[in-house]
Amino acid sequence: MPYYSLGLEGSANKLGVGVIEHPLEKIAAYNHANVLSNVRDTYVTPPGEGFLPRDTARHHRNWVVRLIKQALREANIRPNQLNCICFTQGPGMGAPLQSVVIAARTIAQMWDLPLVGVNHCIGHIEMGREITGATNPVVLYVSGGNTQVIAYSRQRYRIFGETLDIAVGNCLDRFARTLQIPNAPSPGYNIEQLAKKGRHLVELPYTVKGMDLSMSGILEYVDNLAHDLFQGKKNKQLIRADGSKVTVEDLCFSLQECIYAMLVEITERAMAHVGSREVLIVGGVGCNERLQEMMGIMAKDRNGSIYATDERFCIDNGIMIAHAGLLAFRTGTRTPLDQSVCTQRFRTDEVFVSWRED
Amino acid sequence: MSSAILAQAHSYLSGIPLEVISQGAEAVVFLTTVHPYLSESMHPSDIQISSKYIIKYRPSKTYRHEILDKQLTKSRTAAEARLLSKLYSLKIPAPKLIALDAPHGIIWMEFLGFQLPNGHISSLKNWLWYLERQQEADTTATIALSDTVKQVLTLVGQAIAKLHLQDIVHGDLTSSNILLEQNIEELQPTLIDFGLSSYSPLAEDKAVDLYVLERALTSTHPVYSEKYNDWLLQGYEETYGGKTNNKRKYAEVSKRLEDVRLRGRKRSMLG
Repeated sequence: MPYYSLGLEGSANKLGVGVIEHPLEKIAAYNHANVLSNVRDTYVTPPGEGFLPRDTARHHRNWVVRLIKQALREANIRPNQLNCICFTQGPGMGAPLQSVVIAARTIAQMWDLPLVGVNHCIGHIEMGREITGATNPVVLYVSGGNTQVIAYSRQRYRIFGETLDIAVGNCLDRFARTLQIPNAPSPGYNIEQLAKKGRHLVELPYTVKGMDLSMSGILEYVDNLAHDLFQGKKNKQLIRADGSKVTVEDLCFSLQECIYAMLVEITERAMAHVGSREVLIVGGVGCNERLQEMMGIMAKDRNGSIYATDERFCIDNGIMIAHAGLLAFRTGTRTPLDQSVCTQRFRTDEVFVSWRED
Repeated sequence: MSSAILAQAHSYLSGIPLEVISQGAEAVVFLTTVHPYLSESMHPSDIQISSKYIIKYRPSKTYRHEILDKQLTKSRTAAEARLLSKLYSLKIPAPKLIALDAPHGIIWMEFLGFQLPNGHISSLKNWLWYLERQQEADTTATIALSDTVKQVLTLVGQAIAKLHLQDIVHGDLTSSNILLEQNIEELQPTLIDFGLSSYSPLAEDKAVDLYVLERALTSTHPVYSEKYNDWLLQGYEETYGGKTNNKRKYAEVSKRLEDVRLRGRKRSMLG
């Protein structure tokens, strides 16, 4: 009989539940995992507002039972067929994490199943590898709370470069708040649509520091430009070469060009450093078509290839937690009830990767 | 490497033999036998110096916006060349500058390094990897942590300290950006790739420099990185020693380094 697991994810404003099936034997290119269900509900705030931990946690508590039921129904799986319950142990926002871990503990005890705590970042990486078939890529993990360049070495996903202050998704989300544009389906998506109409490049700070980068200064800078634009203040930077005015679309375009160029640059540096030709983009910002395009050009110049997934797996979801958790479960990992405490700080390189043999 | 980049390089450097020796993230490094200032009738081997030269070429990055790309290529290439000449005048080990074409991203410089027994170029990374492989084959030996390794890493620390004492920060210290030169008896490390370097009197920037290297060592040489790093910092401290003024500067950088280590995101905050 194959293995089944149910994964619960709620580290930020998405609540996701998924059921995955692993055939017997080792998971490999010829032995794929099957996604049986992957449902999600996003807590969307009005334009100009971010999601607060308390409200997000309440959203998760309201929806978690409905989503678990829906996931099991779509997967056509009964609880007694499951092998384990997997949940996000961190990193993420405290209150949302906590409300989801309570749900996980509850169903684990109701159905008498073992718990497996999963690192959110590891979930993204493993699901990305499974879906795209990338074997040993350099991973760019970009989302609202994380920006890391990761490569695997000796049973750990090691962080080569990361943001020194805010994450790229956070930078985009906060700029979207300044612009007062809608948060649905996601602020980053709306910035992307505006950026498609932008043509003029406004010069922004370019802050790559070795393999790390910093984005808070860029956000401050572009925020100030936007304020000047709205208030009609005079600013040389807000005038194009032909004398016409810079638009909001131009600002979105420039922000994307600048920070994605930085991301691609540090990813390329990591690829050169570890000698890899594959690059995998995971995390919510990974859906961005311009980022994928830029990464693709870079990979092509290096005779390499890019692997990216679509919004089902890029944006936080339950299935990735189910998948990474089941991989760990099959090598003997269990999270006893008294150790199922979740944590806001949980680095990718803290996890011992027992399921990889290379 | 893509043929487009090669074709572009050949168009800027027409008639000059180019052999690719490495493709870094930002630049392609060519080996050539031609010196840019020698007349055609003269062959480089006729003169008493090496007939090998390095051409570092920053190709335009097509993924970047054109304006951003031109600006970055030009400013980084020019800054690197300026720094190389500065380092030469300060007698800090680094490749000597020969020629510069900033808008096209081309720097011509002295050839450094030699081939390791396994055929790879003698960067610190390759050398340590070479020793670590030997160590794995013969676990009773202490090749990867021998006195030679200790000496080399101490020298690396000293080289970085010399740089920092002149208020120069490297900006991209990794074990692949340090080359080893074969001196008569010993290995002499030389820093290369000053593409991201800058001037800064701040202890913060120097500490970040050290931290970047520390992290690069941990991720590329996970098993031995702790020892490597200790030795490196020993060398660094030695060079700062002596004058009381420098000792104070060292204390400042060292304290900052502790802070920077704690600053990485999502570190566990136990204790």
